Amino acid sequence: MEAATARLGRGRRRKREKSYGSEERRLATLLLSPAMVVIALVAAYPIGYAVWLSLTEYSLREPGKWRFAGFDNYSEAFGSTEFWGAVKNTFLFTGLSVSLELVIGLGMALAMHAAFKGRGLLRTVVLVPWAVLTVVSAITWRTLFEPNLGLAPTVLEKIGIGENVVWLGQEGYAMAVMVLADVWKTAPFMALLLLAGLQVIPDDVYDAAKVDGATTWQRFRRITIPLLMPAILVALIFRTLDALRIFDLPFVLTGGTNGTSTLSLIAQQELTTNNLIGYGSALSVLTFVIVMGVSFIYIRTVGGNIKSLAEDT
Amino acid sequence: MMKTPRLLAALAAVLMLAIAGCGSDDDDDGGAPEAEKATQAKASGNITWCIGKDTSGAFGTVVDNFNKANPKANVKLLELPEDAGEQRRLQIQRLRAKSTECDVLGMDVIWTAEYAGQGWLKDVSDFMSQNADQFIESTVETTDFEGKNWGVPFNSNAGFIYYRTDQVDKAPDTWEDLYKEAKANNGVVYQGFRYEGLTVNFLELLYSAGGTVISEDGKQATADSQEVKDVLTFMADGIKNGAAPKANTTYKEEESRRAFESGNATFMRNWPYAYALGKDSKIADKFDIATFPGFKGNEGAGVVGGYNLGISAYAKNPEGSLAFIEFATKPDQQKIMATEASLPPTVASVYDDPAVKKAMPFADQLRSAIEQAQARPVSAVYPQISEAIYNNVYDALQGNTSPDEAASKMNDEIQKALETF
Repeated sequence: MEAATARLGRGRRRKREKSYGSEERRLATLLLSPAMVVIALVAAYPIGYAVWLSLTEYSLREPGKWRFAGFDNYSEAFGSTEFWGAVKNTFLFTGLSVSLELVIGLGMALAMHAAFKGRGLLRTVVLVPWAVLTVVSAITWRTLFEPNLGLAPTVLEKIGIGENVVWLGQEGYAMAVMVLADVWKTAPFMALLLLAGLQVIPDDVYDAAKVDGATTWQRFRRITIPLLMPAILVALIFRTLDALRIFDLPFVLTGGTNGTSTLSLIAQQELTTNNLIGYGSALSVLTFVIVMGVSFIYIRTVGGNIKSLAEDT
Repeated sequence: MMKTPRLLAALAAVLMLAIAGCGSDDDDDGGAPEAEKATQAKASGNITWCIGKDTSGAFGTVVDNFNKANPKANVKLLELPEDAGEQRRLQIQRLRAKSTECDVLGMDVIWTAEYAGQGWLKDVSDFMSQNADQFIESTVETTDFEGKNWGVPFNSNAGFIYYRTDQVDKAPDTWEDLYKEAKANNGVVYQGFRYEGLTVNFLELLYSAGGTVISEDGKQATADSQEVKDVLTFMADGIKNGAAPKANTTYKEEESRRAFESGNATFMRNWPYAYALGKDSKIADKFDIATFPGFKGNEGAGVVGGYNLGISAYAKNPEGSLAFIEFATKPDQQKIMATEASLPPTVASVYDDPAVKKAMPFADQLRSAIEQAQARPVSAVYPQISEAIYNNVYDALQGNTSPDEAASKMNDEIQKALETF
C-alpha cells in the first residue's frame, strides 16, 4: 500500500514539474477553491468562533450580558488542578492504550497474515469489536465491572486479581478498565492497518533470507519490522490523535472520577453542565492546541520517516 | 379522569376564566377555587409542550384532555430524551438559539432558577400568587427566583429509606442507628457516584443536621460549618467502617436498586420509583419503606425533586401556554399523572384520592416526605454549586481529603460559583 502511495506521490511530483505554467496553476486554484470554501465554512469558522468565545465571558445572571475577558479563561485553566489532572490522565491513557494496541494489533495482524483455512472469516470476526459503537461497548464494560453483580470482578477475584476492589471506583483500577475497553475495541483497527502493510511485503524477500539462513526472529526483526514501519507509523498517528480526544469511555465508565477525567470530558462538562461558555471554549481550544501540537511533532519527526521509508521500498 | 361532558365543559370554562383574571363565581368538580375568577374566550392556538419522554403515556392523556376541552387550541407533545441531563441540554440548545419551537418547558426543579437567570422564562408570578395555596409549599419554593415565580410545580419527588423487614424490625429513627444496624447486617446503599444524586444524598443529611450550603440571600457560601463537617465525617466513616459498602461510590439510582433487589443490602436510599419495581423482585415481600430518619437528634429532612412547567421566553403562544399549564396542574390531571405514571403530585389533596392511594400504596408517606423536604439551593449557578458539593463529598468518601478539608474546599468553590459573572 505504502509503495503504491509513494509511487503515486512521485508521479504527482513529476507531473507538477512538467507543467509549471501559470495557466495550469490558475486552473488548480480554481479547482481547489470550492473545497477551500467548504473547509473554511465547516472547519475554520467554527474553530475561529471557539477561539473568540474562549476570550469572552457570558453572564449566568443577566440575560445576554457578556464581556471580553482576554486570557482570563486560559489563566484560570492553567491555575486549576482540574486541567492539569486531565492533561496527565489523557496522556497516560494515550500512552498506555496506544502502545498496548500496537503490540496486540501487530500480533493479530501477523496471525491473520499467515495462510490458513478460514482466514477470511477470522479477518471479519476480528473487526467486530471495532464496529461496535464506543458508547455501547462502554456500557457493556461498565455492566461487566459493576460491583457484586458484574461478571468481571467475580471472575478476576477467583483467579486472585483485585480482591475487594471496586474496579470503576478506585484510582488506577478505573484507568485499567478504561484502557482495557479501548484496547479491546481498537486493537482490531490497528491490526487491519498493519495487515495491509504486511501484504505489500513481497514473499521473495523472505525466501531469499531463508536461503541465506536467517532465523524466524531475524526475518521478523530485519525484514518485517523495517518494511512495516510506514504502516506502523500511520496507524500510530491515527490512534494517538484519537486517544488524545477520548471522551465517550470516561463519560460512560466513570464520569471522570478516580483519575480518569480527560481533556475532552472536562471541556464538555464546563460547557454543557456548568454552562460556562468562555471557560469551556478555552478548555476546548487548549485540547485542540495539544492535539495539533502532537500531530505536528509526529509529522515533523515521524512523517519525514514515512516519506523516506516509503521511497526506499 | 374526566368522563362527563359536563365536567369537560366546566374545566374548560375554568381555564379561560383564570387567564383573564377578573372575578365571577363558577362551579366545577376538580379545579382550584382561585382559578374560577374570570370569563374569556377558550384557550386557542398551537402550543408545543417540551418535556422528557412520555414513558407511561400519561402526558399524552393530559394533552388529549386539554385539546378536547379546548377545541380552538391544539397542544402538541414534543418528547425529549429520558435522561434529564439530555433534556436540559436540548432545551438549552433551543433557548440559546431563541427557538420558538417550545412554548411550555418541562424543567427539573433545579433548572428553573438557571433558566430564569438567563432570561429564558416568562414570569408567572401572577398565576402563582393566585394558585400557590393548592401546592405543597416545598414545591413552590423551587419556582422562586429573586422574588418572582418562573414555573408552576408539575410533579414532585422525595426520597425514602427502603429497609429489609426480614433483617430489621422497623425503620430506624436516626441516621446514626441506621448506619449501626447497617453495619451489623448487610449495609446501606445509596447514590454515592460523583453526580447530582450525591448532592441530594448529602443535603438530605445536612438539612436534617440543620446545616446549609448558601446563605438565605444566596450571596454567601455557608459550607465551612460544623454541620457540614459532621455530615461528611459521618458519611466517610460509614464507607470506612463498612456500614456503607465502598461500591456506593459507583452507584447511581439504578445500580443501588439492583444491589438492594439482589439481596445485597439491608437499607437503601432511593426515590419512590424503586417501590413498584421492588415489588416485582425476589425480595418483594421482604422490604418496606419509611421517611428519612433524623440526624444529630433532629427531625428527618429530604430534598425536593420533580418538575416544574414554565413558559419559554420565546413562546409564540404564551396565553395558551399558561392555560395549558393551569390545566395540567389541576388535581384531576395530577391524579392521572399519579395513577398512570406514578408521578408524585404537587397538589396535597390528590394524595387522599382513593385511586391514587391504590396506585401508590405509599401515598401518605410520600406526601409527608415531600412536605418535610426542602429545595436545593435556588441559584442561577446551581450546576456549579452542585458540582462543588458532589466533588468534595466524593473526595471525602474516597478518603482523598479529610472531612474538614473537604468542607472548606466546598465552601471556597461554592463562593467562587456564587461570584460567577
